[in-house]
Amino acid sequence: MATPTSELTAEQIWTVEEGEKRSVGVIHIVICALLIGIGFVVGAFGSISFPLGFGVNFFWTGIAVQNVGAIWFGAWGVIAAFIFPFFSNGIAGTPFYVSAAYIPANLFQALAPAWAFRFFKADPRLNSVRDYVILLVAITVSNICGALYSPLVVLKGFGLLTAESVPIFIWGWFGGNEVAGIILNIILMKALSGVVIRTPAFVKKWWA
Amino acid sequence: MNKTLLGYVPEESPIYVIHPFVKLFFMLVVSLFPMFITAPEWNSALIILILILMWYSRIDIKILRFYVPIAISMGSVILLTYTVFGGNHPEFITLVRVLGIRIYWERVRDAIVVYFRILPMIFTMVFFLSTSRERDIIVAMRSIRVSFAITYLFAMALRSAGMVMEDFSTVREAEQARGFDSAGKSIAYKLRRYIMYMVPLFAISLRRSEDFTNALVARGYSFTGLLRNPKRADYILTHYQFTLLDYILTAVIALSFVVLLIYRYGLGYFGLEDSLIIGWLRQLLI
Repeated sequence: MATPTSELTAEQIWTVEEGEKRSVGVIHIVICALLIGIGFVVGAFGSISFPLGFGVNFFWTGIAVQNVGAIWFGAWGVIAAFIFPFFSNGIAGTPFYVSAAYIPANLFQALAPAWAFRFFKADPRLNSVRDYVILLVAITVSNICGALYSPLVVLKGFGLLTAESVPIFIWGWFGGNEVAGIILNIILMKALSGVVIRTPAFVKKWWA
Repeated sequence: MNKTLLGYVPEESPIYVIHPFVKLFFMLVVSLFPMFITAPEWNSALIILILILMWYSRIDIKILRFYVPIAISMGSVILLTYTVFGGNHPEFITLVRVLGIRIYWERVRDAIVVYFRILPMIFTMVFFLSTSRERDIIVAMRSIRVSFAITYLFAMALRSAGMVMEDFSTVREAEQARGFDSAGKSIAYKLRRYIMYMVPLFAISLRRSEDFTNALVARGYSFTGLLRNPKRADYILTHYQFTLLDYILTAVIALSFVVLLIYRYGLGYFGLEDSLIIGWLRQLLI
């Protein structure tokens, strides 16, 4: 008999039990597509409503799809995380190649929390202080890396910023992602993780 | 005009005879042009060319109104970061001093150059979004033999974005039907409301993922890998023929990029040194 969701420990959530077969299926492609769709809509809201410029925003709601999607759905969430900004930034007027150059930052912002939760066996339902700390540290580190990479490498590389104005964009990127990430991730994970971990779409390893 | 996920497309347009791949190729290649052009007049010429193409394609120019706030905010950000937050540079020519901040000629010039590089990229993107339906992107991907799984992923993603938007309106309408009115409320309040929309949107999408999967499995779809590209009948491609005109246009676009590179790096054109606008502006300001 399966253990009720409420009784599942964090360790059990991430461990593939003996005899349990997990393989990539159509549902993972579907979930990836749905994450791109959600990211497209909520990311565009942030890009249009709070723009700092060149796809950098004061409050980027798309970060929640990157973080939570990758924690729940592993590599499928990571794939969605770097695809949807092309659309959400595109309709907000960000040039295609600027969006393309953001790929490493978007990848890392999804990858880091997904890795942290799997490596430290944190509970996506955020049941303990430890889970909150892992979430907070993971998204902070990933946002710092994204914030340093994008304004320094991308925007400076494209000649869009002066050296003196880079810090504004670094803080803009970091702040816009960090605040939105903390608020939205906690709400979504508290509300939905209990359900998600019971669905066949939930990814324990990286692909299945 | 027809509303699509990505923008508004004209009901009828001469550009529809062109293969979707050519439109995608145009967007990808022409977006690169401003990266190699520094002189604002050449980037302005590119904008005018795209506007002419928009007019020829019967795109309602009114749709540009949506992008005006973006262009203004981007321009303001560029100008502020280059002038107010441009730092102290005694080696530069000071134009004016405002509240103790020196505004330098070189910074104003650079801000104009950068802004005129960004604008054609935005126009190219708007032109693409205003001439391509969601299906065009899928056709373009299939034309260049992108694997079926990836193409299908994109197709489903675009479809699901449409559904998320519908769900979003449904949730808002349900609220309004219960008497909720956000008019006159603060931005912080509206933001809080928006954040709370995300939970039902995610929940609906999760539930929908199983319906989607069941429908696909029932039709015999199975996952064979993201990159494998087994031979299969491609119904959608049968509606789009790559004609001689498409070959010519693709060649012209590619060739114009090569010519641009030769002129830029071989003959030294499109640089700042012989820019008319910058020269004129310099005379005006200094």
